[in-house]
Amino acid sequence: MAKTVLIVDDERNIMLSLKHLMLRAGYQVLQASDGEEALEIAEASVPDLILLDVMIPKRDGYDVCQTLRANPAMNHVQIIMLTAKGQEVEIEKGLALGANAYMTKPFSTTELVEKVKSLLGDGSG
Amino acid sequence: MARADDSGLRRRVFQSFALIALAVPAILGGALWLAAQRLGAGSGAPLVLFGGAAGFAIVGVVLWVWQWHDRNLVAPLQGLTRDVETISHSNPEHEIQPDQAPQLGRLAPAVSELAQALSTARGKVDEEVARATQEAEAQRRRLEAVLRDLHEGVMICNFEHQILLYNQRALEILHLTGALGLGRSLFSVVNRQPFLHSLEQLSNSLAAAEQGEVGDEPHETALVVCATVDGRYVLEGQVSLIIEPEEGAASGYVVTFQDATEKLATLGKRDRLLRSAIEGLRRPLANLRAASEMLTSDLDLNAEERKDFESVLESECAALSRHLEESHEEYRGLITGHWPMSDVYSANLLNCVVRRLRDERLLEAVMTGIPIWIHCDSHIVVELLDHVIHGIAQHGGVKAFDLEASQARGKCYLDISWQGEIIPSIVLDGWLDESLVEQLGGLTGRDVLQRHRSDLWCEAHRESWVRLRLPLPAPRGDHRPVGERQQALPARPEFYDFDLLRSASGVAAAERLLRELTFVVFDTETTGLEPSNGDEIISIAGVRIVNGRILTGESFSELVNPGRNIPKGSIRFHGITEEMVKDKPPIEQVLPQFRDYVGDAVLVAHNAAFDLKFLSLKQEACGVTFDNAVLDTVLLSAFLHDHTHKHTLDDVAERFGIEIQGRHTALGDSLVTAGAFLRMVELLEARNVRSLAEAIEASNRIVEIRRQQARY
Repeated sequence: MAKTVLIVDDERNIMLSLKHLMLRAGYQVLQASDGEEALEIAEASVPDLILLDVMIPKRDGYDVCQTLRANPAMNHVQIIMLTAKGQEVEIEKGLALGANAYMTKPFSTTELVEKVKSLLGDGSG
Repeated sequence: MARADDSGLRRRVFQSFALIALAVPAILGGALWLAAQRLGAGSGAPLVLFGGAAGFAIVGVVLWVWQWHDRNLVAPLQGLTRDVETISHSNPEHEIQPDQAPQLGRLAPAVSELAQALSTARGKVDEEVARATQEAEAQRRRLEAVLRDLHEGVMICNFEHQILLYNQRALEILHLTGALGLGRSLFSVVNRQPFLHSLEQLSNSLAAAEQGEVGDEPHETALVVCATVDGRYVLEGQVSLIIEPEEGAASGYVVTFQDATEKLATLGKRDRLLRSAIEGLRRPLANLRAASEMLTSDLDLNAEERKDFESVLESECAALSRHLEESHEEYRGLITGHWPMSDVYSANLLNCVVRRLRDERLLEAVMTGIPIWIHCDSHIVVELLDHVIHGIAQHGGVKAFDLEASQARGKCYLDISWQGEIIPSIVLDGWLDESLVEQLGGLTGRDVLQRHRSDLWCEAHRESWVRLRLPLPAPRGDHRPVGERQQALPARPEFYDFDLLRSASGVAAAERLLRELTFVVFDTETTGLEPSNGDEIISIAGVRIVNGRILTGESFSELVNPGRNIPKGSIRFHGITEEMVKDKPPIEQVLPQFRDYVGDAVLVAHNAAFDLKFLSLKQEACGVTFDNAVLDTVLLSAFLHDHTHKHTLDDVAERFGIEIQGRHTALGDSLVTAGAFLRMVELLEARNVRSLAEAIEASNRIVEIRRQQARY
């Protein structure tokens, strides 16, 4: 069965590209545009990986990440945080709160897909 | 001169009387001669007889009157004159006998009263002068202290622009070594024009105010930006006139200034960065826009043309990304704006928080760990920590906190730890949006973080403990003592006194786990290396470890008067001079205090045998006994790292990545040893050495090996 990726971002433009990228890579895609929706969807359908933007409405990415990690059922969920700020301390905070990886916008789509695949153990094949 | 006048008086009086004595007989003689002419012959003889007798009598009376005057008036007058001279010239306390010249009536008592009044007045004047001098001295000292502590450089000049006064900071900012030289011209160090301009502004404003131009309060200060004469440094500051209160005129001026070189350079860089960031956007954006409009237009593009435009999109996007990363990298390199930040010793900062909470009596905070230097605005960071701690206390009902500074991989952190639940990020965010205190003009926690380009979060720490982590910038300066920067000093030779480490069997708490025990990690500084040969302790310090935390705030650190000289050769190790210990208590007073501090904790020291030897030799004289269990970090290090022979404190600290600050002071070494010991406890656990008994056994094994080695 295809693995599921939840994309959380409030920007329609990037969502469009991310969705296509993940579908192309052979994953099922779920979408959320704010923190609350992200938590609801994640808890309802436990995705394998979450692409999580930091600056999203209602509950920010850090909060979502920390809340997910507090739930043992979400332990195995891989989380890649996406941010437009790119300060060192943000990366550190994200990793401290339970993210597995971090990407600063703008990023290369090829690198993103590679990172998703490696976290999901899918290799380059 | 006075004496000449003095005898002159007497002569003049004598001459006057002599004149009378001569004139009266002469007049009498003349009168009698005229009478003899009228009366005719025969009257001469009786006239000569009576006249001569009267003449002699008159001369006798005159002489007698002169003598009386000389004795009773002239001589006492001379005496008084001398007394008055004595009082006015040499001895103000000289006494005048009021009855020494009774014939002069009230003159002598009057002069005596005058002398007393003069003496009292002089006393008052002297007192006044002494008080004023003292006050002036005190003011001078206060001014010196103020000038010394100022962050700004200060110079006071007269209108010839000669420097009359300056502080040490002025020399530092101007990068001058040695004295500036009072009386030297200001313009031998800084450029003339900006100052003349500012002074002109001030003088004009003062003149306008004097002419009573309505609403014209004189400006007392003017800003000035200038360069040093060599053009290497830019100064920024202000000039103020010194106005004499009585005349209302200016007698000189005060210049206060700061080094603005770095600030201006940063501003310049920031400007350039902003300009290049914006200008750098135009070209790739233009290309992108043109290409994307071509692709979305109605123009009928063939496949090859489309591909060309798509490749434009791709390459321009890549160029934009690169440009952004470059700008970001440069931006990161700039200092954090104008906000005043300085290098701060974490112990000072955290102590402020500890003391605040202690004064409130509701919450308790303990400072733990090895202090480090950080770069921050100490005040607003204290406010932030205080605010967050109160938030945690309210949110989770937490009452006790540990505060610790730490560094890892070149980054510095302030950590607040407690036993309890993690604070959700969303709750923390709420606290950060609140303003800290009114005095800071609505400054929020978020503002404080932004000024430090930082953030904070809450994470699990160790069993049942969580911590709130605040990363802060690393210090800008090098804070190691000068001696340490030059070269490492040779370590103390290892001491072995095999009997000091007893077998575990006699030790209380032997079966307890290391991580649960209380330890006192201590160190001594001594006059030399031979305790049995008269060397003495000159400093003793210790830190307590409770539940795996170094309680930095509860350390023991005392200098000791050794009652003997301190050899020069030892001073370069410990930096303690005879001057520093001369007013300190003797070991008989300090050791019992240290005994109380240690209590029943397990003693830990690096090369413990050395320090214990000193303690044991003093036990009896001080009336104390150290029968605590002892662990030696040299032996534990040898047990854990048997691949090497390097076990000096420097080696061990380096191996564990413990930054060394204040090495070769008893407290500094105790802290480093404590830090190393905690890491060793972790490693010991990994090798199944968990209890005190097991740690002592492991140490004894090393002692045994060394004993064997010593035989050969």
